[in-house]
Amino acid sequence: MMRVKTPPVVWRSRNHRYKLVGSKCKACGEVRFPPVHFCSCGGEVEEVELPRAGRLVSYSIVYAADEESRERSPVIMGLIDLGVTRVVAEIVDASPEEVHSGMQVEAVFRRIGEDGETGVIAYGIKFRPAVG
Amino acid sequence: MYVTRAVMEKIDRHYERGVKDLAAAVAKKALEGIDGVDYVLVASSLSYVQEPQLDLGAHIAYSLGLRGARAISVEAGEASGLAAVELAGALLKSKASRVLVIGVDKLTNFTSAETYAQLSLLYDEGVNMYSSGFGSVAGILMRLYMERYNVDRLTMAHWPALMHANAKHNPYAMLRFAIAPEKVLEAMPMADPITLMDSFPLGDGAAAILLESRPKEALAELAAVEAAVGHPNVAWSEDPLHIESLALAYGRLSEKHDLREVDVVELHDSFTITALMILESIGLAEKGKAAEAVASGRFSVNGDVAVNPSGGLKARGHPIGATGVYQVAEVALQLAGQFPGLKVEGARKGLAVSLNGFGSSSYVAYLRGVE
Ligand SMILES: [Zn+2]
Repeated sequence: MMRVKTPPVVWRSRNHRYKLVGSKCKACGEVRFPPVHFCSCGGEVEEVELPRAGRLVSYSIVYAADEESRERSPVIMGLIDLGVTRVVAEIVDASPEEVHSGMQVEAVFRRIGEDGETGVIAYGIKFRPAVG
Repeated sequence: MYVTRAVMEKIDRHYERGVKDLAAAVAKKALEGIDGVDYVLVASSLSYVQEPQLDLGAHIAYSLGLRGARAISVEAGEASGLAAVELAGALLKSKASRVLVIGVDKLTNFTSAETYAQLSLLYDEGVNMYSSGFGSVAGILMRLYMERYNVDRLTMAHWPALMHANAKHNPYAMLRFAIAPEKVLEAMPMADPITLMDSFPLGDGAAAILLESRPKEALAELAAVEAAVGHPNVAWSEDPLHIESLALAYGRLSEKHDLREVDVVELHDSFTITALMILESIGLAEKGKAAEAVASGRFSVNGDVAVNPSGGLKARGHPIGATGVYQVAEVALQLAGQFPGLKVEGARKGLAVSLNGFGSSSYVAYLRGVE
């Protein structure tokens, strides 16, 4: 049993997952992804599209991945600095040997999971080594 | 308020016993010769997934023959145990004079792979949506630590080695054998640079403490408990290696109490990196220096301050929602000179530190010895 990805759950998170939409505080400018309802300063927030290129701060090569990711194991997870904020996301199109801290990465749209019982497929943003 | 009883079950794969059985085993001993309690607080977390029972506190209280007592269920992820102790403290300051706190949790009703997947529920949805597996965030943090501070993998491995050396003497610990630091590097990779030996074993457990406002005798005084919530996602921390919520909770505590020269600490080493981050976030080690300090013996039982003489989450074990109650029981027994494993001689001041995840919430309990 994992986090349940029923159709309503997948549907309501589509915006931030499909387009890399986060929240930005109207008072202090703090940016968050996934978006939050209130800034940590207490300010109100608005939606903002995040930059699609960033720098890999650190990463992990994950072997004991969940059942649904196991066929792709190992999975590389990274902490990415987008300038306005940082995100944790999967790194694709790179082997463990190619990945290194400090490398430039860019966002791509990929399948991120499927619920075994309902068959619902979720898509979202992942990052790959920057091309060019 | 005072800790007057402290009871623990050995953490293990208790296939033959359920949540109620484990809770009853510790509660029975904690209540021996006691004429009723005002409140029963039941801390549990993963059992809500593995052995679902809603209104767990009331069901357990009744199963203990405590009809008419007041019961509260406390769920705060990995910090559930200390969250229940904090709430017990508030009740003792207002309307209760005797409170039983039970920590109980179940991690072995499913396969290990299923259990690790369930444990990702402890983390924020934003980190979670990739189904990347338990340990991925810890792996990111560990690499960041090693690269930023130029610490090699073998130096980091002294933490699990120390925990195993301590747990060997603790009859309630799950993993009672010593390991060499080199063995940590040879273990199965989990979330590189993390191996399976950097994380806790999956085991069930239960612990109970009795807290009283004015007892005739006690194991230790529960001087105060502080808490704070913080970033649910490490990507949001200004410095992902600094646990802001813990520094805040610890700061609140140290404003009111002199926490210098603490003798014994039981802290939340869910991973090797979590232990180092905690040591640095509460100032027991300088930033970037905790790993070397561990390797040099500063936190061994005969070092400057004994950290996790129980063996910690790594080797004593980590029955998620029960762990905080184990920690308080262990610190209280150390201060009373009655801990059945490695003893911290002459200990007068002790801390228990518990987190959920990497600090989505943090709790610190301060205990003092009694004459
Ligand atoms: Zn703000």
